[in-house]
Amino acid sequence: MTLLLGALTIGLILSLLAMGVLVSFRIFSIPDITTDGSITFGAAIAATMLVNGVNPVLATLAGAAGGALAGALTGIIHTKFNINSLLAGILVMTALYSVNLHVMGRSNVPLMQAETFSTYSESIGHTIFAGPEINVLGWPVNSADAAMLLLALAGAVVGGILLFAFFRTNIGTAMRATGDNPQMIRALGANVEGYIILGLALSNGLVALSGALLAQYQGFADAQMGIGMIVWGLASVIIGEALTGTRSLGLTIVGAIMGSVLFRLLVAIALRWGLNPNDLKLITALFVFAALVLPGFIAKLKRRKPAAA
Amino acid sequence: MLEISGIRKTFNPGTVNEVRALQGVDINIDDGSFVIVLGMNGSGKSTLLNAVAGSFFVDEGRISIAGHNVTRWPEHKRASLIGRVFQNPFSGTAPNMSIAENFALAARRGQPRGFGWALSPHLMGPLRERIASLKMGLEDRLDNAIGSLSGGQRQALTLLMATWLKPKLLLLDEHTAALDPKSADQVITLSDEVVRRDRLTTLMVTHSMQQAVSLGDRIIMMHRGRVLHDIRGAEKKRLRPEDLLDRFDEIRRREQLDDSAATMLRELYV
Repeated sequence: MTLLLGALTIGLILSLLAMGVLVSFRIFSIPDITTDGSITFGAAIAATMLVNGVNPVLATLAGAAGGALAGALTGIIHTKFNINSLLAGILVMTALYSVNLHVMGRSNVPLMQAETFSTYSESIGHTIFAGPEINVLGWPVNSADAAMLLLALAGAVVGGILLFAFFRTNIGTAMRATGDNPQMIRALGANVEGYIILGLALSNGLVALSGALLAQYQGFADAQMGIGMIVWGLASVIIGEALTGTRSLGLTIVGAIMGSVLFRLLVAIALRWGLNPNDLKLITALFVFAALVLPGFIAKLKRRKPAAA
Repeated sequence: MLEISGIRKTFNPGTVNEVRALQGVDINIDDGSFVIVLGMNGSGKSTLLNAVAGSFFVDEGRISIAGHNVTRWPEHKRASLIGRVFQNPFSGTAPNMSIAENFALAARRGQPRGFGWALSPHLMGPLRERIASLKMGLEDRLDNAIGSLSGGQRQALTLLMATWLKPKLLLLDEHTAALDPKSADQVITLSDEVVRRDRLTTLMVTHSMQQAVSLGDRIIMMHRGRVLHDIRGAEKKRLRPEDLLDRFDEIRRREQLDDSAATMLRELYV
């Protein structure tokens, strides 16, 4: 039960990462590897501030803002200096590795002593569930864990709704059009470069927000925690699209959240069944590869069949 | 309204692919005038339109629209003055967004886009009405992705989008060339209606002699990056397609003469 709860909570926290990847990958078709750096950047900023006694809400928002700045930087390098978007992301990600070490002062910052969302959830859990343990369908559950899950759920839902609302505004609609047909939106007076910078800032802001929350949940920020996170995000987005389709914007966002949770659950189950944790990234990468290649492959097979018949 | 003076543009200067697309073009267009731009392939007519729209900066010369010197304005800034329909029906609309969303984008052409809802009620009312007036049955499909429509439908919608906010200048770049004849007729009729109703200053590039004769009040014929003929007023009204063909033949003869003269000279002196 604790395992399930943990997987759900991490899945919900990482759904913010999935939404960030949704923005960069599905709207701008940029596989933005800044993600790997900005999730750590968000965690590093938040952790350092929390250790110094800053309010968790403030520290988390500061982490998100840091990620947005990193994303904007990638956007500026890509659009103003005409550097390939992937390369721009690699440059910023690499630079962020050093920046993160400087922010944290070492490679790992533990948050055991600090006041974080985790300590919030403890007191919230004790208040609303009236005790250190509650009973869920016959299983005893730590009420702090349950409260943390609720907090993560609230974060994912609020994040999803805000993102959906943003994409329905004039500025958000123009941003989507920038990815869909830049020539058209330029002829309608939008500064395409500006929208790409803004979009990558939004994407990495969400990613860093996810990182700041993740650090508080797992109780530490680590310089290595970002490795391969873009692929995690892609996997979530792709699973989400398989679940809800891509026809409606709202469903795509819901799909990203569901995809993130489901992927995390699958991983938890696989690890429980004895999957070597060292193989996790390899399997994730293979999964994303298969998910990207299979739809085209299946379409090809389908087209061939009637011809043969 | 539109003042073009002495503009020149050379692509890939100093290389084997050097193209002198515009070699000193001067055009003044009055407010409310509907100008047809004609010319053979490579005459510079589309380049002229792109220069006005700001797809690139000209090497020399000056362009001003409605009193603004826009020579150094980037494309997206000029969009506040210009409505535009492209040759490719896929260029003017965002395929994965709905009809309504595409119009919401057009309804803020050249204006700041804030955090207001894109699909506001005061857009949807007039939008439904205007699209119903096309009689294409699209008014009930406003939530459908625009990419699901035919080229003719998309081009008609692009035209409505470009003129949703009355532009100071409307640029039509062979906007019916990629359509089947029936859709092309529909879009041309619609263009004429919209331009007349709003008295839009319009610059339209076309290949069709028929369109050139039946539409507009002035014809500019381009050749080798220059204005060769400028036909307007009573002369434009009298013009028949044959007259235009004669002028094209004249150009062709002159070209041949140039070539044969060059060959002769080469034989004699080289």
